Amino acid sequence: MPNITLSGIAKSYGGGDYAVKNLDLTVPDGAFMCLLGPSGCGKTTTLRMIAGLEQPTGGTIAVGDRVLDSVEQGLYVPPEKRGMGLVFQNYALWPHLSVRENVEFGLRMRKVPAPERRAKAELALQMVHVDAAMDRYPSQLSGGQQQRVALARMLAINPTVLLLDEPLSNLDARLRLEMRAELKRIHEESKATIVFVTHDQLEALTMATDVAVMNEGELQQLAPPMEMYARPANRFVAEFVGSPPMAIVEIGSTPTGLAGSLMRFVESRAGQDIAPAAVGIRPEALRLGSPPHSVWSEEATVEAVLPAGSSWTVRLRVLDTELYALSYTPVEAAAGEVLTCWTDQVHLFGADGMRIPAWDRTGVGA
Amino acid sequence: MALLTKAETPPPPPRRRRLVYRLRVLRHDPTAALGLILVILLAYLVVAPLIAVLSDAFRLQYGDDVHAGQQPGEWTGYYLWRVFRSQISGLLFWEPLLNTLVIAVGTTLFALFLGGGMAWLVTRTNVPGRKWLAGALVVPYMLPSWTFSLAWLSLFKNERAAGQVGFLQAQGIRTPDWLAYGAVPIIITLGLHYYPFVLLLVGNALRRIDAQLEDSARILGAPQRTVIRRIVVPLMLPALSSAVLLVVGRVLGTFGTPYVLGLPADYRVLSTGLFQSIRDRSTGVASVLATVIVIIGVLIVLVDTRMMREHRRFVTVGGKGAMDRLGDLRRWRWPAFALGVVVFVVSVLVPVLTLLVSTVTRTPLDLSTFTLDYWFAEKLPGAVGFPHGVFRGSELWEAAWNSLRIVGLASLICAVAGLLVGYVVVRGTAPRVAAFLRQVSFLPYLIPGIAFAAASLSLFAVARGPIPALYGTTFLLILVMAVTHLPYSSRSGIAAMMQLGREPEEAAQIAGASWWQRMRRIIFPIQKGALVTGIVLPFISGLKELSIVIMLTTTGTQLLTTLSIGLVDYGYTQLANAVVLMIALVSFTMTYLTQRLTKSSLASGLGG
Repeated sequence: MPNITLSGIAKSYGGGDYAVKNLDLTVPDGAFMCLLGPSGCGKTTTLRMIAGLEQPTGGTIAVGDRVLDSVEQGLYVPPEKRGMGLVFQNYALWPHLSVRENVEFGLRMRKVPAPERRAKAELALQMVHVDAAMDRYPSQLSGGQQQRVALARMLAINPTVLLLDEPLSNLDARLRLEMRAELKRIHEESKATIVFVTHDQLEALTMATDVAVMNEGELQQLAPPMEMYARPANRFVAEFVGSPPMAIVEIGSTPTGLAGSLMRFVESRAGQDIAPAAVGIRPEALRLGSPPHSVWSEEATVEAVLPAGSSWTVRLRVLDTELYALSYTPVEAAAGEVLTCWTDQVHLFGADGMRIPAWDRTGVGA
Repeated sequence: MALLTKAETPPPPPRRRRLVYRLRVLRHDPTAALGLILVILLAYLVVAPLIAVLSDAFRLQYGDDVHAGQQPGEWTGYYLWRVFRSQISGLLFWEPLLNTLVIAVGTTLFALFLGGGMAWLVTRTNVPGRKWLAGALVVPYMLPSWTFSLAWLSLFKNERAAGQVGFLQAQGIRTPDWLAYGAVPIIITLGLHYYPFVLLLVGNALRRIDAQLEDSARILGAPQRTVIRRIVVPLMLPALSSAVLLVVGRVLGTFGTPYVLGLPADYRVLSTGLFQSIRDRSTGVASVLATVIVIIGVLIVLVDTRMMREHRRFVTVGGKGAMDRLGDLRRWRWPAFALGVVVFVVSVLVPVLTLLVSTVTRTPLDLSTFTLDYWFAEKLPGAVGFPHGVFRGSELWEAAWNSLRIVGLASLICAVAGLLVGYVVVRGTAPRVAAFLRQVSFLPYLIPGIAFAAASLSLFAVARGPIPALYGTTFLLILVMAVTHLPYSSRSGIAAMMQLGREPEEAAQIAGASWWQRMRRIIFPIQKGALVTGIVLPFISGLKELSIVIMLTTTGTQLLTTLSIGLVDYGYTQLANAVVLMIALVSFTMTYLTQRLTKSSLASGLGG
């Protein structure tokens, strides 16, 4: 099965504002690719362009050798002929059709004979565990069930490309957890290439084989999720992925306070060659207690401790700056207490906001 | 890892390439073509008539060249002069304008007083039988507006006009002209028809006021009277002003009542003046009058929307538990109930019974002269134009069939067009097309029907280009009727489509359904309910419609409404009353059933 290739894709809604700017993206066959980004970053637009529901103002979209959109060549394949599956954010089940009829619709359009249609629809519904509600109408189903029916409706036609537009955002926390595992299973069972849009980084990290982070219509980074977390390519990705987010300390021309302290550490490791504009520290990399040898450490005043059952978030004042530390062991400190905090994992970003790869090679990066 | 530096804004592909691509896309998306068709149709059916009537007002018509000293077809201010400044301008314009104003103000005050009072009674007090009163007091609005004027004539008509005299006169009591015809009866009968309108608008607003707002004022030490004056009345202002303007707008375009009650005493208003000018074939004058009515109508609605916008700031929508507590009338409960019943009796029972009894008595309302001849007789001596009971002969059945056919077809067209407008507005990719459709389909709302009919006559009375002259054809009647009801159906079509959103259709598209399959299997089935109300409400309102059809029908195509007016013209009171009763019966039954079946409220259909 083929890759999905987007090359030079641009989309503007009239005027000079681009929802998507010059996007190059290849979704490998069988991938579970997640488009991640804040709202308005162009991720849903990208997905809808792949589905054919919106048309790019420039560029080419192809699946394998089959060109679906090419503004340059004047080629266009309408959505109904693309043979993809798309699950909408609000599911878009047809209220006047029963669950079975909803699922059978795509097969009916493909002129599949009735007995086979029936069998396939039942199979798809079994796959998502709503076969018991087959003869009910969408309004009689819970949100989670509707979501599954929407999925089954797409699985029934056995698409090679399955597109999901924030399908978990309307579910409650427990269902969401369950559906994440379910989607992962379905991905493995159906062997479809899945493109998934979300603004929830946890969904992206937990499910995807590849994550594409977008912001303001541009691709920021494309990487497997753990790699993206460990080595964010730029400040945007660094701050967007991770919760609580990475603390970014601006260095400035004559660093003082925390910035100065961190710079002394960086220079002690890498000499004067590296001149970062900002230093990032992930909360879980900031440890409390007596530091081992040759790491960065400072005295920190505890401002508040926020226990959350399995983890403890601590707000610290380190020199002139507030930092958050995330600990998975109990923190028993009172506000105002002075502790030592330390880390050996910092991320360096240059003046252009990009990660400084030379630093990672010193072995002190994440 | 794949990583981009700041992406440059891409150079757009060459224009011609983009055009080729756009065309490819459009070929697969009939929405664009549909939008274009609707734009052309609406421009032709809504905008063009208005332009035509405006140009007729400023162009010399055939036959007027001698008086004006210009060639036919030349631009002229002759009609403006004739209507506004000439010696007969008083007769043509100023007097009707003054009369229209008097009637508008009088009717509005009457309706406001009655409707406002009744609204307060049924929403804010513990009057016995509130639910029943709330329903019963809306009934007058379900009857054709000139039902009341015919009932009035049956009671008060004197021998001044041709035909059977009224009940009082028959009893030997000479009714003065001011009581039989003119401003007083018009104001009373129109007021009786329009007060439910006020009741609905004000009642809804009263129901929506959050009781907590009043409670807060009372807790801060305001006595009951102050609460009403400082809190309730200001909050009601938007609904009140809206009710006032809408009633004024309706009165401006109403035809039946001033025709029946005004003309015998030469009491002219703008709408009847317009009708007469058209009947006298003074097209130029009629065009000026129509333009004036259009302008007043547009102004009224503009003022209304402006006021609504200004007031929206402090309209509290859907306060929780809004009005669950009711003012206790104590010993006034039963008197208040009696008052409500009296209003119901006067506004519904008396007119309907008067009409009914008048059709079964030779001498008005004198039961000793009981007869069923006017309904069933094979031969009615003396009635030359209609020499038999209404159920005999073909006239009534033909008119009923025409009404059913023409109004039904118009409603169907209207509902489908409304839904399609909604579809294109919601679905379409061209914002300018959507804005045009939205606004132009709403335009007829601003224009009183009679003026719009006059405008359509200007456009369609003569052959223009490939379009033959359509005057007198049922086709024109259907078109104009559909267009005048379009504001309501396109509003509800847009709302229904907005609510549905584009996802259900897109989901079908992804599933492989072609445009036709999507329409047939998804959009229309889902919108079935909206479609049915979209047909029924214009149908009911169209059945009672007089002012539009009176301008456009010829003797070949009688509708129930024009048949009854024709009988009034002949002076066949009993027969006319019988026909109006039939219309009232049908429209009341249908409204009632629709409300029951679809749970839609009449208030939402008020636009129709």
